Parts: sequence; structure tokens; C-alpha cells
Amino acid sequence: MHHAKPKHEFEPKIIAFVCTWCTYAGADLAGTSRMQYPANVRLVKFPCTGRIDPVFILKAFQQGADGVLVSGCHPGDCHYMAGNFHARRRFAAFRKLLEFIGVDLQRLQFSWVSAAEAGKWVEVVTELTERVRAMGPMREFKDLALEEQWSGSLTTPELQEAYEAI
Amino acid sequence: MTTEIIYSAVGEAIRTEAERVLADGTVAAVVGYTMARRKGSAQPVVLTKPEEANQLIFSAACVNNLAVYLTKAKKELPREGRIGIVVKSCDLKALVGLLGESQLKRDSLYIIGVPCVGVLGSTLQPSVELNAETVADKCRECDDRMPQGADFVPTVALPASPALEKKYAVEIARLEAMTPAERWSYWQEQFSKCIKCYACRQVCPFCFCEQCLCDRNKPQMVEGTPRPAGNLAWHLVRAMHLAGRCAGCAECERVCPMDIPLNLLNRKMSRELKELFHSEAGFEVREKGPLAEYNEQDDQSFIK
Repeated sequence: MHHAKPKHEFEPKIIAFVCTWCTYAGADLAGTSRMQYPANVRLVKFPCTGRIDPVFILKAFQQGADGVLVSGCHPGDCHYMAGNFHARRRFAAFRKLLEFIGVDLQRLQFSWVSAAEAGKWVEVVTELTERVRAMGPMREFKDLALEEQWSGSLTTPELQEAYEAI
Repeated sequence: MTTEIIYSAVGEAIRTEAERVLADGTVAAVVGYTMARRKGSAQPVVLTKPEEANQLIFSAACVNNLAVYLTKAKKELPREGRIGIVVKSCDLKALVGLLGESQLKRDSLYIIGVPCVGVLGSTLQPSVELNAETVADKCRECDDRMPQGADFVPTVALPASPALEKKYAVEIARLEAMTPAERWSYWQEQFSKCIKCYACRQVCPFCFCEQCLCDRNKPQMVEGTPRPAGNLAWHLVRAMHLAGRCAGCAECERVCPMDIPLNLLNRKMSRELKELFHSEAGFEVREKGPLAEYNEQDDQSFIK
């Protein structure tokens, strides 16, 4: 028996950077337990949250992500002892930088999801997806990336029109 | 005119000390400032003979952070022996940061500290008088005019620091009061000026990586051409890589040909890190910077 899938105007793209030991296994458990969660999320698996460079988050936004989730082991559970502690500090700093630059932090979510917390994974993903859906597409970075493709500024009406049509 | 009196006394003391340490073989070379061609301007110089020591000067136009000559630009230095270096307190903080990151050994340095009442914000007119208008923005917020932990500091009585408007603090407060969209457009306007000349990277004592992440193209994380997305990414990566390390010498901002307020990002990050992790660049060598260590009790209210 399947639920009727609700139709939405906007399906956000969510990129999730997850650690292989906890959150990836947690997401896997959610899958094998047949739990339902939005298919908007694309997982990228890393050995550890400590491996996730802030520049990956930037890149994700530039390549068209509407929201980014970073998730790993609970503090103290890191497979490499301290990876998530380092990540926690780095992301605390990176959040402040993004905020200062003018990025809405509602699009960026950090979480600890262990291999047993399939329910929490579903909850985190659903909440982020719905929040980003309500916020609409992430325009800022996409506009920058689009401008990057153009060979000059949009000075003529024809160019402006073509640009609007994208 | 007190500034000139102080700085000429400082210059005299530096010359005497440099001559002494070069003559008795304590150091193999001294990195300091000398007169440049334009009247009143100064430029970095590396001296290896005691009789050259009389070239050294100190003035409000001695803006450069010479610490960069100990890492990236060290080809100019003799390979053997200790190096004497003239530093203001902001430069000394950068030097201390490099010591903490094991880029330098304290034993191989002879630090000549400068009691500083500020340097010029712009050296376009190097002989202009140092006053509340012409002083560099970083000096307006400086509380450490006396370098600490140097091998030699000229004994000069400094006047009480005048209360000047803290431009960075004011600007950060102004930006923080804006909405995210306004901040975004402010920074887009600033970053769109960037021509990717990388002068900020070249002049920064902390940008000592053999290969910068932003120069790599397999995978290419940061677009190299001076276009909008790449400019934003470059400045964010720069701010992030300097977070918790930047000593606030503001050389990046000074050398920027497009006048992008680069130090504003650095100041913001150093404030945030001080607030979050109680760690700040100073005269004490830190074994690890705030982002290289951790505490199990760190704040994680932003993590679900």
C-alpha cells in the first residue's frame, strides 16, 4: 500500500554530507526499515565529518543545492576518536562566516545521527526539506554560478530576456 | 610632532642594536625598513653587514609586515644563522602565530620589537603627518602598542593612546544590523571588484601553503577566473583558512588594489572565535589555534 505522493510546486535539492560510520548507516537502516522520507535528499558519503571541508558546502550551493545537511556521529562516538569534535568547531565558525556574508542559515542544517537512529534521520531530513520547500529556491548562489557562464554583463534587453528565461 | 620624535628615537635604537647584533655575530641578517626613493616612504630591506645598519629607519610609513619574509619570501635571507627582524606588535602577533604553527623556530630569530603609536593607513603620501585621519584602521583598535616577548625593545615612553573611533567594530555592527539580503548584496558588490590578483594571499604571512587549495584544478574547488561565483568562494575560503590564525596586521586590506574590506572578514571571524572558543591571536605562542583543537564541552546548540 502506498501513500499518494503529494504534488509540490517546488522540489528542493538537498545535499547531505554524511559520515559513513553513523549517519550513512542510520540512513541505510531507515531504508531497510522501509521508513518514508523525502527523496529530495542526495547523500554524499565521507569517511568522517572531520573530512567535510566548508568548501564542499559552498560548492554544493553553487552547483544548485537549495539546502545542505551535514550529519555525523554523536560527540564521543567518532570512529576516529575526535573527527566530529573538530568538525563541530569548524562548522560553528563557518556558520558565523556564512551568516555575515548574508546566507540564510535556515538552509544549512547540522545534526548528529547514529547508526541506530533511523527515526531521527527521517525526522531531520523531512524537517529540512519542508523548511527549504517553504523558503523556495536558493537564488543567490545559482545567480552567481549563472553569471559565471555568461561572457559579460547583461547589458542588452535580448540577453536579459534570455537570462530571465533560464 | 611627538610621533616623529618617538619614531626617530626608535629608529636610532634599532640602528644601534642591529649594528651590535650583526657585528658580534648574533644574527646573520636583519630584516628591517629602509628609506625608499620617494621622500618619507619606506621599504623592506635585508642587511647582512654591520656597516649597513645605518640604513635602517622607522617611521609611520613603515607599514609592511616583515614576518612574510621569514616564510614565503625567505629566498632573500641567508640560509644559515639567526635572523634579526624588526616587528611592530601586530607583526609580532603574526610571527608568534607562525611559531605556534611550527613554521619558525624561536631560537633562530632575534626579534627587535618596535614601540608603536600607529602607522599610516595609506602610503600614497608617505610624508604626511600621522594623526587621527591618516592613521591605519587597524591602529585605531590596537591595544598592544608595546610588543611583548621580543629580544630587544627600545625604551621609549609612549603617550596614552587617544580614543579613536573603532572603524572595524562600527562597520561590523552596521553589517550585523542589516538583513541577510542586504549583507549579501553588500558583499557581492565588494567581491565583484576582485580581480583575483592574489595580492592578499601573497602578502599574508599565514598563506604559506606550497600549493593553495584555490590553485588546484583536480578537483577544482574554487573557480580561478575573476568571476562572481569564484570571487565569493575565494574570499570565503580565505576568511575560513585564516579564521583563528589571523593576527590582524591588515596587510591584505592594505595591498588590495580594489579596496575590498578584507580585514573586516578577518576581524569578524576573530571576534566570533574569541566569543566561541576564547582563543585570540596574542604574544603567547599557542600550541594549537582554536580550529585545530577542540573541547568536548564546545557549544553545539546549532546541531540537531
